[in-house]
Amino acid sequence: MISLSGLTKEFPGGVRAIDSLDLEIADGEFFALLGPSGCGKTTLLRTIAGLETPTSGNIRIGAVDVTRLPPGRRDVAMVFQDYALFPHMDVTANIAYPLRIKKVPRAAREAKAAETASRLSLSELLGRRPGQLSGGQQQRVALARAIASHPTVFLFDEPLSNLDARLRLEARTFLKRLQRELAVTTVFVTHDQGEALALADRIAVMSAGRIMQVGTPSEVFQRPANTFVAAFIGSTPMNLLPGRAENGALHVAGAVLPLPPGVREGPIVYGLRPEYADLTQSPPLGRNDAFTGKVAVVENLGTAHLVTLESPSAEANHLLQVVVPEGEEPGLGTPAWVTPRPGRALLYRDDELLTSA
Amino acid sequence: MIRGDPVIRGDRGTRPPSTGRDYTRHALGTIGRATLLAVLPAFFALPLLWLASAPFDAHPSITTSVPEFTLANFRSLLENPYALSSLRNSLIQAGGSAAIVVVLAALAAYALSRVRVPGRDALLYVLLLLSSVVTGTAAMVPLFELATRLNLIDTHLGVILTLSGGLLPAAIFILKDFMDGTPTSYEESARVFGASPLQILGHIVIPLVRPGLATIAVWAVANVWGSFLQPFILLRDPGKAPGAVILYTLYTEGGAPRLDLISAFSLLYSLPVVVMYVFVSRRYGFRFHGGIKR
Repeated sequence: MISLSGLTKEFPGGVRAIDSLDLEIADGEFFALLGPSGCGKTTLLRTIAGLETPTSGNIRIGAVDVTRLPPGRRDVAMVFQDYALFPHMDVTANIAYPLRIKKVPRAAREAKAAETASRLSLSELLGRRPGQLSGGQQQRVALARAIASHPTVFLFDEPLSNLDARLRLEARTFLKRLQRELAVTTVFVTHDQGEALALADRIAVMSAGRIMQVGTPSEVFQRPANTFVAAFIGSTPMNLLPGRAENGALHVAGAVLPLPPGVREGPIVYGLRPEYADLTQSPPLGRNDAFTGKVAVVENLGTAHLVTLESPSAEANHLLQVVVPEGEEPGLGTPAWVTPRPGRALLYRDDELLTSA
Repeated sequence: MIRGDPVIRGDRGTRPPSTGRDYTRHALGTIGRATLLAVLPAFFALPLLWLASAPFDAHPSITTSVPEFTLANFRSLLENPYALSSLRNSLIQAGGSAAIVVVLAALAAYALSRVRVPGRDALLYVLLLLSSVVTGTAAMVPLFELATRLNLIDTHLGVILTLSGGLLPAAIFILKDFMDGTPTSYEESARVFGASPLQILGHIVIPLVRPGLATIAVWAVANVWGSFLQPFILLRDPGKAPGAVILYTLYTEGGAPRLDLISAFSLLYSLPVVVMYVFVSRRYGFRFHGGIKR
C-alpha cells in the first residue's frame, strides 16, 4: 500500500506543485493520476519515486516511511516518458541494469534479462541498441527493465504518450494485461482521460496540485464530484448549463425540467453528457422538458455524430451538444429538440455535486 | 566576377544571348577558379612537402627540392643526447596534462551542468577570460615565482600543472555543453534503480560523453605538445625539456640553424600528434557539439 499524507511540494519561487495531498493506493491496484498539464501529477509521481523531496508531509510504501529515503532504497521502478533507455547499452544490458546495480553475477542477470525479454516478445532484439528499435519496442524494453528490477511499486510517467495513435491502443491493452499478470501496485500519470478510464482500477483527478476526485472509472465518469471533473472526463465534453431552481421546477436554457426532491431554490449548474440525451426533429408531444435550438455544427465521430445546437433565446445563448446515432443526423440550420434521459443529468451548486436529475 | 547593376542584367535577359561570348566568359571563369584552387593548396602544401623531403636530403635548405636520399640526418640527430629524451618528456607532459584536464574538467562540467549554482554562467565566462591570461606571457613572472616557492621549478609536475591550469576553463566550457546535451532522465532512471553517484558517472555519463572526452584529451595533448614558453621558463635541465624547447637548441655555435637536424627532428616531433589524431578520429569521431542521437 502507498499512503501519502499532507504531502506538499513547493518549488523555489513559491509555486505549489502539490498542495497538502492525502491519498491511499491499495496493493496490486492500477492507479491513474489524471489531470491537465501543470496540475502536479508528474511532480507527485517523481516525489513518490524520490526524485523530488517533498516540502512537508509523508510518503509510506507498505509499512516503511520512505519520505527521506533515496530513490534506490524505495523498491520502486519507474518508466520515464522518454523511456530513458541507455543508448550505449544493448537491450540485454539495459534490461539487466537494475540487477547489475544489485551485484547479481553477469550470467545470472543475463539469463534473467533473456527470460523477461521473452515474456515481452523481445527475444529477437536482445543484441540491438535502443536507437535501432521502434517506439513500441523501446517502450517494452523500458517495461522489461522495470520488471527485471522486481519492485513492489511501478511508476509510469505518461507510458503511452510517445507512441503513435494506433500503436497506443495496442500498447494500452498489453499494459493492462501485463499489470493484471504481475499484480504489482502501479501508479501512472496521464493527461488523457480515455487512457485513465481504460486502464485504471481507480483514478485521482488532479488540478492545481490538489485532488479533485478519487474513484473508480465509472464513479468518476458517471458522478463527477465537481464541474472541473465533469468537464475534464469524457471524450466529448459534458454540457454545463447555468440554470435556476424556482417554484418547484428547474429552468435551464429555456427548458422547464422537473426538480428532484431535496434541492433548495437558487442558481444551479445543469450537467448533461452529450451521450445521455435524445435528439428529435419535431417537438416531443405533450412535454416541455426538452431543449430546443438550431443545428449549428455536425461532427462525424465514426459510428455517431456530435451535433451542436444553438439556443434561439437571446438571454440564454448557450451551445448544447448531443451525440446522435449514425444515420439520424439532422440537417444544418434545421430546428431540433433534445430530451435528457431521466436520472442522467447532474446538478451542481457552488461547484459541488448535489444530485442527479 | 562582379556583375553590374540590375539594369544591365535586365538588359541581358531581354536580348537573345550571344552564345559565343557567354561560353568564352564561362570557360575563362572555370579556368580561373581551377587555377586559384590549385595554387592555394600548393601554397599550403609546400611546407608539408618540405617536412617530407628535407629530413631525407643530404643537403637540406629552406626550399623544397627533390632530395638526394640519405638517412644521415637521423643518425646525427641521434647523437644529440637530448633529442629522443625530449620526445619522451613531451609525452610525459602532454599525457599528464591531458589526464588532469580530462578528469578535472569532466567532474567540474558534470557538476556545473547538473547543479544550479547562482552566477554559474558568469563564473564560466570569467574563467574562460582569465585562462588566456593565466598561462599567457603576462603571467609568466608570477608563475615562475609561484613555481619557485612550491619547489616545482625543473619538474615535469610544474609544467603539467601550469599548462593544465590554462587549458581547464575552455575544457570545462566545452564539456559542460556536452553534458547539457544529455537528458537527465538517464541518470534519474539509474538513480531509481539504486545506482550511486559514482556508478551513474561510470555507467551512464562517461560513456555518453566519451566523444567529448576524447576531443578534450586530443586538444589538450596537441596544445601541450606545441607549448614552448612555459617549459622553456620552468625547466632548467635540458634532460627534462620537451621537444618544442629542444627544437630551439638545434643551432650551431655560430647561431646558424642546423637544417639537417631541425628537419629530421621536426618530422619525429610531429608524427606522434598526427598518429594520435588519426587514431582518435577513427575510434570516436570528433564532435565539438554535445548531444546524443536518439
